[in-house]
Amino acid sequence: MLPTLTFSILCFGVLIFILIMLLPALLELKMPKDAGPRMIRDHSSHTGLAIEEILIVNLEEKQQFDQILVKNIVDAINVLPNLEV
Amino acid sequence: MASYLMRHYIFTLTALRRAKKSQRRATKGNIAYQPVVSILIPARNEERVIGRILRRMTELTYPKDKMQIIVIDDASTDATGRIAEEYSKLHGHIEVIHRSKKEGGIGKAAALNVGSKHAEGEIIVCFDADYYPQREILEELTMEFADPKVGAVQGRIIVLNEPKNIVTRLVALERIGGYRIDQLARDSLGLITQFGGTAGAFRRSLLEGLGGWDESILAEDTDLTFRLYLMGYKIPYLYDTECYEEAVESWHAYWKQRYRWAKGHMQCAFKHLTSVLKSKNLSLKEKIDGFLLLNIYFMPVFVLLSWITGIPLFFLHPPQWFSFFWAFIPISLYSFVGNFAPFFEVGIGTYLDNRNRAQWLIPLLIFTFLLNIFICTKALVDLTISKIIRRNNNQWIKTPHSGNGNTYIKN
Repeated sequence: MLPTLTFSILCFGVLIFILIMLLPALLELKMPKDAGPRMIRDHSSHTGLAIEEILIVNLEEKQQFDQILVKNIVDAINVLPNLEV
Repeated sequence: MASYLMRHYIFTLTALRRAKKSQRRATKGNIAYQPVVSILIPARNEERVIGRILRRMTELTYPKDKMQIIVIDDASTDATGRIAEEYSKLHGHIEVIHRSKKEGGIGKAAALNVGSKHAEGEIIVCFDADYYPQREILEELTMEFADPKVGAVQGRIIVLNEPKNIVTRLVALERIGGYRIDQLARDSLGLITQFGGTAGAFRRSLLEGLGGWDESILAEDTDLTFRLYLMGYKIPYLYDTECYEEAVESWHAYWKQRYRWAKGHMQCAFKHLTSVLKSKNLSLKEKIDGFLLLNIYFMPVFVLLSWITGIPLFFLHPPQWFSFFWAFIPISLYSFVGNFAPFFEVGIGTYLDNRNRAQWLIPLLIFTFLLNIFICTKALVDLTISKIIRRNNNQWIKTPHSGNGNTYIKN
């Protein structure tokens, strides 16, 4: 049998871990800052579909930064075999 | 479990690689193939959303003389039929089929079969009543059929009412993992991409050759997917071809919908597993992926079995190396939640969609994972009982749609 004190510390540690893991989720639910569903890609010349609640700041700059980052990640994983057809 | 772990990680890395490349888009310049298209919209008590999709059908950029829109009013008791008829009067290419209470309400497959009989187009496209596609969706979907090896095509689905509540937000995350990573990777790797039953298209001649939709299966889309692959056809996935959907908004509706998916998927596994493994039309990797795909809904049941057997075994007769309890923690954590690869998929999917804040909700997916364990177990138990007593209890429980997604659309 596990020592009672060790078991109690273990249980307490697990609970703290779960709480820390869920804290960002609870924060996002309470104060949502996510941009919401992505805008549907509409290439028609008509007025496109728009989402009512969009909260994106400096989207273009962010996308440029993300593209560079994705490129770096892809370059890093290119050492793995490419299974694409 | 290990094979699914590897599978998900391979899919995620593949999707990351694919993120650099953009998909071929249909433009006026490169559209050489524009067949006549029949759009089927099965609808049962969808008065809150049917008007939205029919209005959207009138806004599609595909030539109207090459479009036929068929609304199957499946024994609705609300104003669905009346709303559809109003659109039909204003637009000649929209027709409505009304099914009576006696003949209707037995499931989507039956409604689609009725609609298919009236279809005249070379290509059939299916939309659920709560869907909202991009305007050029027909050009994008039909372009692929210029290749005679293509039997069906699937587009991407995005949750429209995502900000509504925690249920819709978690469903949206699952969709991102499934469509941004999983389907995309399977298409890139030449594996089995799934026809989702909506926001997709297929050849009418193939459906007729197959004898229509199988009304005994709750997951008629998965069934069609495997029937097509077994015939040697392919199903490309177009991740840039997009359609909004309305996600379920309550845990009760979530349970009912996932129960139907799990039971239907298991029915497909019983029906197709042997054929997939023996098929001469499938490559080895397609057979392996088909095997994993068909059995995916059984995995949560195995997790439950591992809990039931593992915990009492540990306390009744712990083996020598288990007496070192630090090993117990990671092993039981792994067997508790299966593997973290699906969450990794969702994380990368949200990142590729520039939705970094949505990643904060990923730990909550553990709750949907736990819920799905019980859903899949119940589905398997019910299926087993129905097989034993030889009674097919395929009650189609319709997903309710509130029309709340309308507030997120502005034209």
